[in-house]
Amino acid sequence: MEYSSDGRIKRGNHAAKMYIIIIIKCLKTLAFTGMVGLSLGERHFIQGGIAQDLRSDGRKRLTYRPLSVETGVIPQVNGSARVRIGATDVIASVKAELGKPSLLQPDKGKVSLYMDCSSTADPAFEGRGGEELAAELSNALQNCLLGGKSGAGAGIDLSSLIVVEGKICWNLYIDGLVVSSDGNLLDALGAAIKAALSNTGIPRVQVAAGTLNDEHPEVDVCDDEFLQFDTSGVPVIVTLTKVGRHYIVDATSEEESQMSSAVSISFNRQGHICGITKRGGVGLDPSILLDMISVAKHVSEQVLNKLDSEIASAEAEEES
Amino acid sequence: MAGKSGATPATYSPSLTTSDKKKKPPLFNEDWVRPDGRAFQQCRPAFFRTGAVNAASGSAYAEFGNTKVIVSVFGPRESKKAMMYSDIGRLNCNVSFTTFATPVRGQGSDHKEYSAMLHKALEGAIILETFPKTTVDVFALVLESSGSELPVIISCASLALADAGIMMYDLVASVSVSCFSKNLVIDPISEEENNQDGSLMITCMPSRYEITQLTVTGEWSTPKINEGMQLCLDACGKLAKIMRSCLKEAASDSQE
Repeated sequence: MEYSSDGRIKRGNHAAKMYIIIIIKCLKTLAFTGMVGLSLGERHFIQGGIAQDLRSDGRKRLTYRPLSVETGVIPQVNGSARVRIGATDVIASVKAELGKPSLLQPDKGKVSLYMDCSSTADPAFEGRGGEELAAELSNALQNCLLGGKSGAGAGIDLSSLIVVEGKICWNLYIDGLVVSSDGNLLDALGAAIKAALSNTGIPRVQVAAGTLNDEHPEVDVCDDEFLQFDTSGVPVIVTLTKVGRHYIVDATSEEESQMSSAVSISFNRQGHICGITKRGGVGLDPSILLDMISVAKHVSEQVLNKLDSEIASAEAEEES
Repeated sequence: MAGKSGATPATYSPSLTTSDKKKKPPLFNEDWVRPDGRAFQQCRPAFFRTGAVNAASGSAYAEFGNTKVIVSVFGPRESKKAMMYSDIGRLNCNVSFTTFATPVRGQGSDHKEYSAMLHKALEGAIILETFPKTTVDVFALVLESSGSELPVIISCASLALADAGIMMYDLVASVSVSCFSKNLVIDPISEEENNQDGSLMITCMPSRYEITQLTVTGEWSTPKINEGMQLCLDACGKLAKIMRSCLKEAASDSQE
């Protein structure tokens, strides 16, 4: 392109270079602002759809994607479940181990929650990105499912995990794995944990007579007799994602990339709030927040019914 | 402190004399009095001071009863080379506890959960567009912890950011309430936090009347949430006034 002497092409060349640099910069910003690379048109399409109550997959603002539950998917653990909401796919497992209760709470067992965002689900989960998200999800689930310090509003009754007070208790390890991620991970994980808990069988334990007052009582764990958990108190989590002036439930990852903030609220059967967490830094007006709570409460009833019937049919299928 | 009362043995001898002393569980029934004698809806006296650390671009010290927190802000300074280009600034938050902050000697390590919460509470208030390609570091250290640390850290951090001259939409004030069956108790101390049925923490920008962060644990009915939020928002407004007057004082001092 150097052959022209009038310099016009040269200038054009320069302009083209500048243009390319600008494009690269734009792409970099795009890559930073959202995991999902969306063009301006696509973003407008999503935002416009939400404003008109017709989302890109044909749903209304407050409709969930189809939800399916499979229980007993992992044989090595006490209880497990796989929940799929649209393209989001998660597995939760519950493992019970005998341990010693803490000195501060001798009449209660322990529950630990660990979440894992595998980088096979999304390249963005590799390394620190996945760790951060996993920590955020575990915290939110802990908030929403385990209740207050005194145990009020907890989905799991910790005192039911005691075998011998102050000496032996069950430790529940609840692990969640994100297999495939297409938004709304928190709701899916919450549902999977609820399903896994109803699938959980805790072996019956017999304390050997005469050793009850010893420092280390002898216990006999039955292999064929299991006790079921009462999971009617485990709440469901409903996440409302705010995009523009409206909020939606069960956002896909494309919709999540357009959110300003998201509020996750968990409700139990009685319609009581068991926990709230907020994501996204943008502020919310208190009146909008209260509005979101009442909408979420309404949605949670439907989700709870749907989930309960799915769990029941999954259990029936497993037995047959 | 406990050693001063009664007959103190002259020499220290490790014995099991204290084992039956802590047998009294606090009864949170209708007519209990809060351990520090406050009314249910009364906050601890708040004390703020800016300019606690000389090396920092801005810093603040806060004291709510026995909860003592120091926050320093460094930057804006160039983001690490490994970071991708960004046309808005970055915020990096870190909360740590001293080993002697808690009654049981702690590890003194970083508190990841609080760090993440602090970040989420502040990012909505800072105008990140004003310092592209750079990072602002917010380091909080809890010197002594006796309940409601996170709200104190957040309020103190926003004051430190203001002291550093970082552009913000508004100061961020934060208050928590504990729920005991029917009662709501504002600004709980650790003893109350350990026995609470539920907790609600709000961080907000009072002048804009916007909630930047909110966490609820335990079981709440909807009217109870309303009541708790209103209580917190009122308290945040009052707290922000104290923080503002602290900034004004610092500004007028430096002019003289």
